[in-house]
Amino acid sequence: MEAQNKKDLSFKIEPSDPADAERRTVLKGLTLGTFGLASLFTIGNLLEVLTFPNGEKVALAKAVIMADKSLCAGCRICEMACTNFNSPGRNSPALARLTITKDYLKGDYEPKLCYQCADPPCLRACPVTALQVEIKQGTYARIIDERVCIGCQRCVQACANHFRPARLKFDPHRYRTIKCHLCWGDPQCVKFCPLGVLRLVKSEQGLIIGYPAMKDD
Amino acid sequence: MIKMKNPGGWVGKILRVDLTSGKITSQSTFDYVPKFLGGRGLGAKICWDEVPPEVKAFDPQNKIILATGPLQGTLAPTSGRFMVLGKAPQTGPIESFTRSGIGGHFAPELKWAGFDAVVIEGKAPRPVYLWINDQKGEILDATRLWGLNTYQTQEMLWKIHGSKTRILVIGKAGENRSRIACILTDTGDASGQGGFGGVMGAKNLKAIAVQGSGYVPVARPQDLAKTTQHIYRLFTRRPAHSDPYQPEEKGFKYNIWGGGYGRGSLSLLPGELLDLCRDPSSGYSQTPDSCFACPVACRSRVKGPDIIPGVAFCAQSYMYLESMVHEPEKGYSKVTWQAAKLADLLGINAYEIMAIVPWLADCYREKLITEEETGLPLKEIGSWKFIFKLLHMIAHREGFGDLLAEGGQRAAAKLGGKAEKLAQMYYPRSGNFGGYREHWVYLGGFPTGYAVPALALMWALDNRDALVSHSYIAMLWGAAFTVGQDALTADPAKIFPLLKAAMKEAYGSAEAAEFFRPDGKSLNWDWAARVVKRYHEHSILKDCYILCDILFPYLFNANTPDHVGDVSLESRLYAAVTGLEMDVAESYNIGSMLCTLERALAARDGRTRQDDLLHDLYFEKEDAGGRKYNRADLEKAKTEYYQLMGWDLPKGIPTKATLQRWQLPEVAEGLQKYGRL
Repeated sequence: MEAQNKKDLSFKIEPSDPADAERRTVLKGLTLGTFGLASLFTIGNLLEVLTFPNGEKVALAKAVIMADKSLCAGCRICEMACTNFNSPGRNSPALARLTITKDYLKGDYEPKLCYQCADPPCLRACPVTALQVEIKQGTYARIIDERVCIGCQRCVQACANHFRPARLKFDPHRYRTIKCHLCWGDPQCVKFCPLGVLRLVKSEQGLIIGYPAMKDD
Repeated sequence: MIKMKNPGGWVGKILRVDLTSGKITSQSTFDYVPKFLGGRGLGAKICWDEVPPEVKAFDPQNKIILATGPLQGTLAPTSGRFMVLGKAPQTGPIESFTRSGIGGHFAPELKWAGFDAVVIEGKAPRPVYLWINDQKGEILDATRLWGLNTYQTQEMLWKIHGSKTRILVIGKAGENRSRIACILTDTGDASGQGGFGGVMGAKNLKAIAVQGSGYVPVARPQDLAKTTQHIYRLFTRRPAHSDPYQPEEKGFKYNIWGGGYGRGSLSLLPGELLDLCRDPSSGYSQTPDSCFACPVACRSRVKGPDIIPGVAFCAQSYMYLESMVHEPEKGYSKVTWQAAKLADLLGINAYEIMAIVPWLADCYREKLITEEETGLPLKEIGSWKFIFKLLHMIAHREGFGDLLAEGGQRAAAKLGGKAEKLAQMYYPRSGNFGGYREHWVYLGGFPTGYAVPALALMWALDNRDALVSHSYIAMLWGAAFTVGQDALTADPAKIFPLLKAAMKEAYGSAEAAEFFRPDGKSLNWDWAARVVKRYHEHSILKDCYILCDILFPYLFNANTPDHVGDVSLESRLYAAVTGLEMDVAESYNIGSMLCTLERALAARDGRTRQDDLLHDLYFEKEDAGGRKYNRADLEKAKTEYYQLMGWDLPKGIPTKATLQRWQLPEVAEGLQKYGRL
């Protein structure tokens, strides 16, 4: 199993092969069937969820939000649009699923976004499988099932080990961890960004990005 | 008071700080809202209750009020602004209540920290700064910050409280109680007019640092998102091909002043520095920069290896134009930029410098002042040597700078005689409540150099300077830019036809734009009073919600054939955020009420109809079209305005009946007590 993992790490530079993504899914299916450790269930009719409590491979995300920081004017609309949509009724950057880091004197602005990592440390850290892969809308984003989340924040810590600031945040009012879920395929930050800094990059083959392709940011 | 069901917008608490005793308390915002809305209305009410006329601006009893409105800290476009209010040292010769807006990123942070407003009174025994973090305030020692410039102070505080902290800070000018000291945040957003930096200095308060992790409640998030998207579509389009200055859509005009203004348009003027910024290999750059939640990003961020980095506003662009005359081959040079930035570092209101420098030049030309007397290199106005010396002398109150630190109008009055007469050109309002600089030529008339009756009336009535980029005047700008003219070349006759429908919508008459008679010989005052009443209502409402001066009210659309704007945007945002219905007509009543309250504040300080007047000069000179303001016309328009507002005609003070109508019994009582009714 470890050899398998290592092999996958070497993928990071090569463009992903469609057949490969297919193999992953098959692999998961196998895991599911063979070990019977994973569970497959449906939440309402919104999302279907696959879980892998044994830490097995996760399907690559098919979309991710990217930023061209050279264009950013630092208005923080993305943060506000995010929290207005995802935490309705509560406008606050502390609840935004992305963070703008700003150096006001030098004028260096940078949106820090969730990479929907190829091998997500947050997902692996979750003790209760609240972190899932969204497949119903086909984004394969790493999402949090807030009914399962116990607010232990291990995922936040796991992310912070690789990326700063941590892309996951803790919502103290509801005692849940929150995370970018690409707004089910229609990210509000991208929609509202007035300067076109943010864009949604899609790939049917899945994107090898974030951890482990990028070690830190 | 009626208990409301979870209104959004306001976070519910006002922080009260007494620097004398060090006591910090909090009060419910709902003691004042929704009646006074927030921002300017909230501040006016607190000033009415707590700052009587006997209190002088630099007294410990004077209060400095930082007031946000219901929209701050939400997705609502341009909701980064807030108001600084209190008794202003700059108003003169009698100090009186005024307000000063400031953009940037401070206001939302204050809301997230849990406070709608901060009211500061008293005087600390030693230099302190105020640290506000998540529902609590703390007074901390600032002995080691005292004397530092505005950038250094912020850098020090970022080291202590983290870089997410937003800071209001004063420079050397504020510490020395200059009447023209500003309060600065980040690299250039400043509350200048009013001289509240000096008030902070008098209180020994070096800075206010705030950081919050809370949230602002929003009643109808979906409505808010929808209205916000709608407003974005009106004002801006994404940049094309990664060029932030060009909209993606061909023919679309960034919708401010008819497309004459938009993304990154507060830019450097042509010259040495702009050329450097456009050369990618130079290491200098200029990029659009935004206030909080603003889709337009009108400001430009300028940086380079040997200049002070910062944001360019109109003050940075126009403060030291003398340098462009001094070295015409360089145009807008590094000297021009550094001069404006030096004013920021020292915490001096750049708008005042725009009056003081040309006034000094006039005085020197007329041989009223000499280099020996003043200690300034007056032969070299326009050079770095001159501005460096001038700003330092003002900030440190050295020699002649001590006089100039009192502001141009007070300095001129002290010199008296011809020097005072020369200053009247720059400080148009006569009477006891002047002290504010005129914006361009002829009261900032548009097109530049033209007399506009409504503007003269606005100037006469305001407790500060009138806004020249707002409401009625902004519509004139808009129409001119739409037909391809600009501030200097515009021909008024060509823009009138364009404005008919938009004027009808905004002021109730298609003819309101026509500020001179068809024969072109005399000014048309018919609509001045009605236009100014609506302008005051618009202006006070946007300062209460609080939204940006330049985007709101949205009266002129450059991208449609009839150019009709939409006056309901502000109230729609208000309703979406708070969940309280706000009818446009009803909102104008609130505007009138608050305008009456502000007038009562000035009246209590002694302002009467005689103070609503301009200097003789303005009635004597002809404008670019050969027309003149006429004293009798202005008086007639004033009478009409007072009538519309329900104020006493001979005195210009709100009547008892009007105050009752607006349910301000305490105001009627107070005016009676001071014998003003």
